Amino acid sequence: MVFSSIPFLFFFLPVFLILYYAFPGRAKNVVLLVFSLLFYAWGEPVYIFLMLFSSLVDYLDGLLQERFEGQKGKKRLCLIIALAINLGLLAFFKYADFAVGIFNSLTPWDAKLPGIALPIGISFYTFQTVSYSIDVYKGKVRAEKNYFDYLCYVSMFPQLIAGPIVRFSSVQAELKERKVNESGFVRGFHRFLLGLMRKLLLADQIGALWDILRTAPGISALTAWLGLLSFTLQLYYDFSAYSDMAIGLGMMLGFHFPENFLYPLSATSITDFWRKWHVSLSTWFRDYVYIPLGGNRVGVAKHLRNMFVVWFLTGLWHGASWNFVLWGLFHGTLLALEKYIWGRHVERLPKLFQHLYALIIVVLGFGIFTFDNLGELAAYFPKLVCAAHNPLIGKELFWYGGNYLPFLLAGLILAFPVYPKVQELLKKANSYRRGLISVCGALVMLALFIAAVACMVQDSYSPFLYFRF
Amino acid sequence: MEKKTKDNTTENITENEKVSVTKRVTVYLIAAMILVFAFSFLVTEKKDFSESENRKLASWPEFSFAALRSGSLTEGVKSYVSDHFPKRDELLGIASGAKRLAGQKELGGVYLAEDGYLINAYEAPKNVEKDIAQWSKLAEKVEHAHVSLMLVPTAVSIYKDKLPANAPDRVAQEMYGLKSERPMGELPAAVQQQTIDRIYGEIQGKADCINASAALHAAAGGEGRDASDAYGDMAPVMEGMMSSVNGEALFYRTDHHWTTDGAYVGYLAFCASEGLAPVPLSEYACETVTKDFQGTIYSKLNDPYFGSDEIVLYSDPSWQLTVDYGDAQSDSPYDLNYLEKRDKYSLFLSNQRSFITITNDAVEEEAGAIALVKDSYANSFVPFLLNHYHTVYIFDTRYYKGGPSKFINEHPEISEVLILYNLGTLDQDTGIGGIY
Repeated sequence: MVFSSIPFLFFFLPVFLILYYAFPGRAKNVVLLVFSLLFYAWGEPVYIFLMLFSSLVDYLDGLLQERFEGQKGKKRLCLIIALAINLGLLAFFKYADFAVGIFNSLTPWDAKLPGIALPIGISFYTFQTVSYSIDVYKGKVRAEKNYFDYLCYVSMFPQLIAGPIVRFSSVQAELKERKVNESGFVRGFHRFLLGLMRKLLLADQIGALWDILRTAPGISALTAWLGLLSFTLQLYYDFSAYSDMAIGLGMMLGFHFPENFLYPLSATSITDFWRKWHVSLSTWFRDYVYIPLGGNRVGVAKHLRNMFVVWFLTGLWHGASWNFVLWGLFHGTLLALEKYIWGRHVERLPKLFQHLYALIIVVLGFGIFTFDNLGELAAYFPKLVCAAHNPLIGKELFWYGGNYLPFLLAGLILAFPVYPKVQELLKKANSYRRGLISVCGALVMLALFIAAVACMVQDSYSPFLYFRF
Repeated sequence: MEKKTKDNTTENITENEKVSVTKRVTVYLIAAMILVFAFSFLVTEKKDFSESENRKLASWPEFSFAALRSGSLTEGVKSYVSDHFPKRDELLGIASGAKRLAGQKELGGVYLAEDGYLINAYEAPKNVEKDIAQWSKLAEKVEHAHVSLMLVPTAVSIYKDKLPANAPDRVAQEMYGLKSERPMGELPAAVQQQTIDRIYGEIQGKADCINASAALHAAAGGEGRDASDAYGDMAPVMEGMMSSVNGEALFYRTDHHWTTDGAYVGYLAFCASEGLAPVPLSEYACETVTKDFQGTIYSKLNDPYFGSDEIVLYSDPSWQLTVDYGDAQSDSPYDLNYLEKRDKYSLFLSNQRSFITITNDAVEEEAGAIALVKDSYANSFVPFLLNHYHTVYIFDTRYYKGGPSKFINEHPEISEVLILYNLGTLDQDTGIGGIY
């Protein structure tokens, strides 16, 4: 099910919340679990068993690891088996086609592609369960004794299919006991609504522009850049809105999920960008791949190797296609360059140029990210260059730019931390002014909500991009 | 308790901070709205058909494990809920209105053009080869009658000057130029005139091709084009005839059809090609039968901002008609019952009928008969033919089975066959396959 759909917003969510609040204490977990399974089964009635199996493996692994406390070899074996099963499932269901394709291109054989459909959310929940097994091994969390609580964590619908990648350590205590109160509902629902509007009024609208420009013939160089910028904004609002909604839903239920997006498009360098973009993924790779490999406390050669591994995997995690790998390595290379060559110089540039520098690279990077067909990628990138047969500006720039201007401007402005700034200023204003502004804000929010519902009814089809990962 | 990560760059507000009254009120108002929508969805009666969108609404999907597995069940539920959502029509209007206010000049393939015109964007048809083959087949099979073909461009061509500045269809047409000898294939987007030129190029010789484009352009008065382009030798006569539609709308603002004035211009082009003396429009009785026509393009947007059109009907007082629909008879080509319905254009020839015979006893039998193979554009065009032929046979090949050519060859009184289609809906026209 999709958060920004009529069945979810008008039926699933109200029924769920009423029951959730009606049931006392630990029974809330049962309601949450049942609805989470329904939520998943709505889109994936078959693969739900895969998720149940995957979570069962890690649950048992946790118990076994604790049992073998003190017997290092056996404990380690348990961990390795659990990792092998989880990562094996991910590899099989996500990368089998890709691997067979590579095999076919490297050898004279022509093996049949398995043609496996990707189970929704497998990349996210596999990373969660893997982090659990490793954390138990390292003694960072205690193994969960209650399978249903553990399953409730893995399957929890707010974050099940597109993150944030919530680690068990951050919710273990709340699974047993959490504060569910009215102010949590208000704050959480407010956050959810902000996400819903960002998704429907920014991501989907700007995405419509990218849908056109992606394949539009004969566009000028600036229009081609506008296209990549629109994809960047679409992806950012799509994905961060999902995290907003997930975090908001979590707050309504009494959970505290980690923040996932800290205004990444306002970054001043690529290093800065990765501190702000999909934080739960980059910290996952940092904690479970980069640091175990030695991180940066090794020689330059080894450090570069570590970066290569991490960014290769980060790219590959996003999809079974070379363009994602290319995108990961593109970012890895720039991070290495910033670390060893021009990072200090960039810091000395005026702020505006730092922002431009980061934004241009990020936009270009998402250009690689968006084309999972390398032929389309190769066809689009030459359009970015102004040349004899490819003018800098064409009439279509004014057409598309003009048609989508309010959405693009709003998207660009809100990508910077404007909202918290306004909140801060409001605190300083006198109470009369504050009241007036917050009433206006509330009215705008009501109007935008109605517009968002209208868009939801009009474009009944609006998938989340990150479902593919 | 574990430490909560707080970052002052996010919207996450610390727990001890109080929730403001306005935020609380907003949230509860929206929550209440959600409940009201959900509740009224459950209690309202469901319709099978949307008059305003002119389509069948989704029905509740039937449960089966196969459907559940494939996901078609949940998709079905989704479209059902969306189709029957309370206040759906109003919400669609709000969505279009919001985008219009945000400055968008094109919404879902509709240009918001000057003078309140809603104009469908043009997509080059994919089935041109098949269309040419079908029409050629009819022209070849007809034995004794004279066959002509009239392709009618839509508002996107005729009113291209009304299109928003820099709109792709406008730019493409400006590049193509109506008289240009430009080789095809190097244009950014296909234009209607290009399609017409291509089809006429292949049909010429098998059937006479009527230049409705030039006539409509001349009537619209764009770019100094005048009657001589359209009518050749008959220009002086036609110019006089055309003055009666000067300044009149040739297309509806909210519908994809031409108006009766537009159809009259098409009729003039037909007369010029056939060498017939046209009946001046002033000889007809003219009546505005409605001012509340909201057409098919309006339905795509549902935004009341765009208002409605009027429909003007022309009738000749001397007509002595028998309109035979097969299952019903009438004495008028206009079925005014449709004025009560949403889709008022259907009043012309009473919507979709597989086969219609109209006889006008005011015209002697020696005047012969004409057969029309056509789409809905012809429905408002047919009345102008009634003064020239004793009988008009009209085929809707979506429903007429057996092939018009067989019928035409069996009826020697048919001296003329007119194939009439508009350019906007060629690909959607499932009747073209039934022409043989």
